[in-house]
Amino acid sequence: MTRPRGLALGVVVVAALAAVPRVARTDAELNFLFLVLLSTTLAQSWNIVAGYAGQVNLGHAAFFGLGALTTRTLWIGGTPVLLAMGAGALVATAFALLIGVVAFRLRGAYFAIGTLALGEILRITVGNVLAEISTLPAATIASYRLADRYYLALALAVATLAVVGALGRSRAGLGMQAIREDEEAAEASGVNALGLKLLALALSTALAGLAGGLFAYYHISYYPSHPFGPHWTFDALLITYVGGVGTLHGPVLGAIFYVLLKEYLAVRWVDFHLLIFGALFIGIVLLLPGGLVEAAARLRALAGRRAP
Amino acid sequence: MLEVEGLEASYGSFRVLSGVTLEVRPGEIVALLGPNGAGKTTLIRCIAGLLRPRAGAMRWEGRPLGQAEAHTVVERGVAVVPEGRRLFGSMSVEENLALGAFAPRARRGEASRLEGVYAIFPVLRERRRQLVRALSGGQQQMVAIGRALMADPRLLVLDEPSLGLAPRLVESIFGLLREINRGGVSILLVEQNVHAALALAHRGYILEAGRVAAEGQGSVLLNDAHVRRAYLGPLAR
Amino acid sequence: MTAFVQQMVLGLLIGGLYGLAAAGLSLVFGVLKVLNVAHGQLIMLGGYGAFWLGALAGFDPFAALTLVIPGALAFGAVLYWTLFAWVVRASEETRVKNSLLIGFGLALALDALAVRLWTADERSITTSYAGAVVSVGGIAIPLVRLASLVLAGALIGGVHLLLARTRWGRAIRATAEDWEAALLTGIDVRRAYLLAFAIGTALAGAAGTLVSVGYSVSPSIGLEWTLKALVVVVLAGLGSMPGTFVGGLVLGLAEAAAAWGFGGPYREMVGLVLFFVVLVARPQGLFAR
Repeated sequence: MTRPRGLALGVVVVAALAAVPRVARTDAELNFLFLVLLSTTLAQSWNIVAGYAGQVNLGHAAFFGLGALTTRTLWIGGTPVLLAMGAGALVATAFALLIGVVAFRLRGAYFAIGTLALGEILRITVGNVLAEISTLPAATIASYRLADRYYLALALAVATLAVVGALGRSRAGLGMQAIREDEEAAEASGVNALGLKLLALALSTALAGLAGGLFAYYHISYYPSHPFGPHWTFDALLITYVGGVGTLHGPVLGAIFYVLLKEYLAVRWVDFHLLIFGALFIGIVLLLPGGLVEAAARLRALAGRRAP
Repeated sequence: MLEVEGLEASYGSFRVLSGVTLEVRPGEIVALLGPNGAGKTTLIRCIAGLLRPRAGAMRWEGRPLGQAEAHTVVERGVAVVPEGRRLFGSMSVEENLALGAFAPRARRGEASRLEGVYAIFPVLRERRRQLVRALSGGQQQMVAIGRALMADPRLLVLDEPSLGLAPRLVESIFGLLREINRGGVSILLVEQNVHAALALAHRGYILEAGRVAAEGQGSVLLNDAHVRRAYLGPLAR
Repeated sequence: MTAFVQQMVLGLLIGGLYGLAAAGLSLVFGVLKVLNVAHGQLIMLGGYGAFWLGALAGFDPFAALTLVIPGALAFGAVLYWTLFAWVVRASEETRVKNSLLIGFGLALALDALAVRLWTADERSITTSYAGAVVSVGGIAIPLVRLASLVLAGALIGGVHLLLARTRWGRAIRATAEDWEAALLTGIDVRRAYLLAFAIGTALAGAAGTLVSVGYSVSPSIGLEWTLKALVVVVLAGLGSMPGTFVGGLVLGLAEAAAAWGFGGPYREMVGLVLFFVVLVARPQGLFAR
């Protein structure tokens, strides 16, 4: 797709999505779309550091969790929600930079398992310190409007896509992709690998923190350790890989597909979508490393050859 | 017994061999010479089955070799002493030698062949319980050759056995190679040490930029212009 | 003081299972250079295997080992052929990364499968002798767990001998050290991979069986056990089975000490913190020799 056409299509889609709260008859549609938008944001944020810079971060939930924790605490305490979310993103990013300097000494799979351990450390700590369930005050529940959450989710998803789109075409984005392909060669040709990896991590975790804040704003009651759970990381990873890792459209396609399958299958079989997604994911890693985006490109190429 | 014909090989898009033809006859010692990057090690990797050639043919005792899996090449009687020896450093001398006889054919007569290797390299018998990485470079080279002999090969392929060894040691290793050859094993020897290699070999090939630039008897090659250009630099012309 | 010793004894007992859990992961990682993050799920399946044999056919859990181990060997072979044989063709760096992703997908699928087959409830096998305890100077030692520790040690010792003394054991070690050199000595490296993966899976199956007797299994224990095994591998390094067993015991003791010192919830933390510190302190040296 050419850039102006893609942009035009994007504007149409966003306008249509913005109109949904006016026409939706039940909350179910809004909830569904909210989940798609939240998943898109989370997956896209993971995609920055893992897909573009090639650093498979298995502790991503920690930043989603930090954003949720900070936002929830400040917001319930009376801070305006946007400000609280900003603070959440700030905390997540600060923490990320702090550990990033250490964690980026690890390469490849060791970075992955190291961050996995970090995420678990944080989840267990939060679970130990804040064992009580967090529920919104009665007054907040009484004035709860789903549409507010939905619009925020839409805005955040659009902003995330814009950031990643701009990153993909920037010098920094190219440098990150060079690191993904071959870190030593990239450094040899003058790329500041550590700096760019930290930049990718900062962007990625700021967006993850905002997504966590959105979750805290959306969800009425949950355990504080829940947003730190590893399944958030795994969701992001699955969505990104199934859609197409290291691409702009991939996480969007993946999120739609994932939430659709999850919501549809969950009606009848709890967790069954994970069986299908696990198998699908293995197939994609082995046979179609480009995910749905690559599949679509191949189909288009095939169709193009048939009908010139 | 080994015939290589028009062999082409590449790493990715980088072509290393562009049509190499050579031959090792029964009972021969053949030296393969050439500057760094000429493709000597690549040729050996092809023979050993570690690298699939892109074109050309290799025949071993009349049967094609190129498509065979690496571990079956040993079974058919070709043993390789790789560049840098590639021993199993965390294992004892005797375990390394036993691994040399892993191929099913080589298991028959393993014990007597071990005695034979110890007869050629008596120091290995003394050190047989020691870990290989604790040995000196020369002793390690003996283990590497011994490991290859344990496979009961009819062709022994050596990639730079003199690398990193003192001249006296090289001399004695080359002497042992001659003895091994007299025992009926053909040898294909890749070397940088031109004089020693050509003194030992019956015939030699010069590889330059992925092609055979010259071939012939050792003494003839030694005076060949190609050899002098390759090893002594353009000024020697 | 007695309470402390009691804690440490219990820590030592579960440490044996940590060692057994890590042994399989270590073998697979060391030989195939493949990091199977679904290792914990294989342990879980072993536990459910023993549970099924008990519930459906009345097998004693320890007797069930004689079926679980060969079953796990076969399952490991199938997993290798269908999934990991594809991965080992890649260069070593992509290999580790892809194996991580494949293992992750596998873990997810097996978790979901376990929920379908056995529900999300915790299960554990109860036997007539389940409550038996020997008391030594006021310290209670549950017999089942003691037997598990001994069995874990015996199994690891058995694999150690297999690797040290047999022809294929030597071939597996050679492959771990330098697979190209192994090929040059005539070893069918892919068969060595297959054997190592199958043995690793069998060790996981045995560990799962012992977990289901002395402790409990549920579909969600996979990740937890993968992490435990990873921690032990990081602590003990690759290449030595007895070393891995000792590493497991050390983790068990460290957990017990942390639980005693800071309270139960911190049991899980100590291993992860150790893990991260060791990993960062020796990022390259860890798995290199």
